[in-house]
Amino acid sequence: MSKTSRLNCIIPPHLLKRLLESQDSDVRQAALDTMLTTARLRGERAVRASFAGPAATATGNGRRTVFDCDQGSFLASAVMARSEDGPESADESANRAFGGLGLTRDFYKEVFQRDSIDGHGMRLDGYVHFSVKFNNAFWDGRQMVFGDGDGKMLGDLTRSLDVIAHELTHGVTEHTAGLVYHNQSGALNESMSDVFGSLVKQWSLKQSVDEADWLIGADVWTPGIDADALRSMKAPGHAYDNALFGKDPQPDRMSKFIHLPDTEEGDSGGVHFNSGIPNKAFFLAAVGIGGFAWEGAGPIWYESLKASSSETQFQDFADTTFQKAGELFGVGSAEQSAVLAAWQGVEIPISGVPAGVARGRSRTVDGNGGLSRQDGVAALTRQVGELSAQMTRLAKDVAALKGTG
Amino acid sequence: MKVTLATHGGLAATVNLRLPPKVLDTDTLAENAASELARLVAAAVVSPVADQPSRARDAMSYTITVEDGGRSTVLKQSDAAMTPAFAALLARLQEYLEQQ
Repeated sequence: MSKTSRLNCIIPPHLLKRLLESQDSDVRQAALDTMLTTARLRGERAVRASFAGPAATATGNGRRTVFDCDQGSFLASAVMARSEDGPESADESANRAFGGLGLTRDFYKEVFQRDSIDGHGMRLDGYVHFSVKFNNAFWDGRQMVFGDGDGKMLGDLTRSLDVIAHELTHGVTEHTAGLVYHNQSGALNESMSDVFGSLVKQWSLKQSVDEADWLIGADVWTPGIDADALRSMKAPGHAYDNALFGKDPQPDRMSKFIHLPDTEEGDSGGVHFNSGIPNKAFFLAAVGIGGFAWEGAGPIWYESLKASSSETQFQDFADTTFQKAGELFGVGSAEQSAVLAAWQGVEIPISGVPAGVARGRSRTVDGNGGLSRQDGVAALTRQVGELSAQMTRLAKDVAALKGTG
Repeated sequence: MKVTLATHGGLAATVNLRLPPKVLDTDTLAENAASELARLVAAAVVSPVADQPSRARDAMSYTITVEDGGRSTVLKQSDAAMTPAFAALLARLQEYLEQQ
């Protein structure tokens, strides 16, 4: 039995020309479509390349445009449904997408002083009614695409603000750390989208950490599906448990880390699975700090995202949040202690901090002692934080010396 | 002809990974429907795959396996970059699978 794989296979132009002369009309049409698609892609790439860099989006000012795909699968064929200065659309999906894009843009602007996705006013384009009964929403690298859902399992994806913010945050991550979408860095990439997706929802509803539901995609399932959400940050592994697709497989700690192959079939090493671990760490830190999460844990995570790189692993990110908590709120502060305990809670102890310190703080953050209690443990935490800050300064000095050498 | 559709990734990747691939035996279709599907397969096979955008996130990918007369052909594309021929095949295949 022969096996033909069509992966990464490009038909040479001369063969396409021969196929245009085929007796079969479908083959002729496919060859013609292919030549047109290839020409369009080449054109797009050339145009994109000529506008490469921040200049490509600098004039966008975060302006929103929503297009209607009318059940088609090709964004180039979509028609405009609503623009920044235009009237409200008669299409509720277009209006919801428009609103979600705006809330996410405003959140980043007001909370983090970030000018749109790329920090340079990138325009925000959304495409609704993509394909037929399409059970998904995705970020294609430049714009956001929404399906209507099949009505059996998933509903209209524009209904979920945290899903919209999740997808746009993939753009923010791409323009900051650029976390590679495989294995641990990919799971961190997914987690960043869940963290800021949830924060946009909490911010829009003015919910405290105790009031928030900490669910991602609570609105996406149809009423007939027995599931709370796509994911739970508060309790990874408990978003759903039903006969149709089983139990939520997300782990909530490192000892439950799921090893999957780095393939599409393996979810690129389980990026949507293991994101449960840093998600839970964020939840624990936010609850440990209290109040509004976008004022406490949010800035720590945002600054850590900006300080991360494409290959950042869970341990690296945990260490960075500890350092950033010290910089933002003070070394040895309650906020830094909460971050320390949060990572300990998912079995990722901060590098250089004795396990006893983390355990001590963990007990405190779990609610028995309150975060205001100052003791010898806090003093030790402070010392570790100071050492960490010194290491950072030293590393910067070394880098500067190398630069001048 | 047996046509199998496997879906991977997407926003609900953890759910999609649990769902089994869907299988369509074209012998169960009306003759004109079966021959139309065969034409769509042939058209998709000669259609080159567009470059997959590396920055796409949460896009779903689709693997269509066609088994016919001892020969197996695998077609694979994603939401973020799909040829018209593959899109036409996928849409019709999903329509028939839903009717099962």
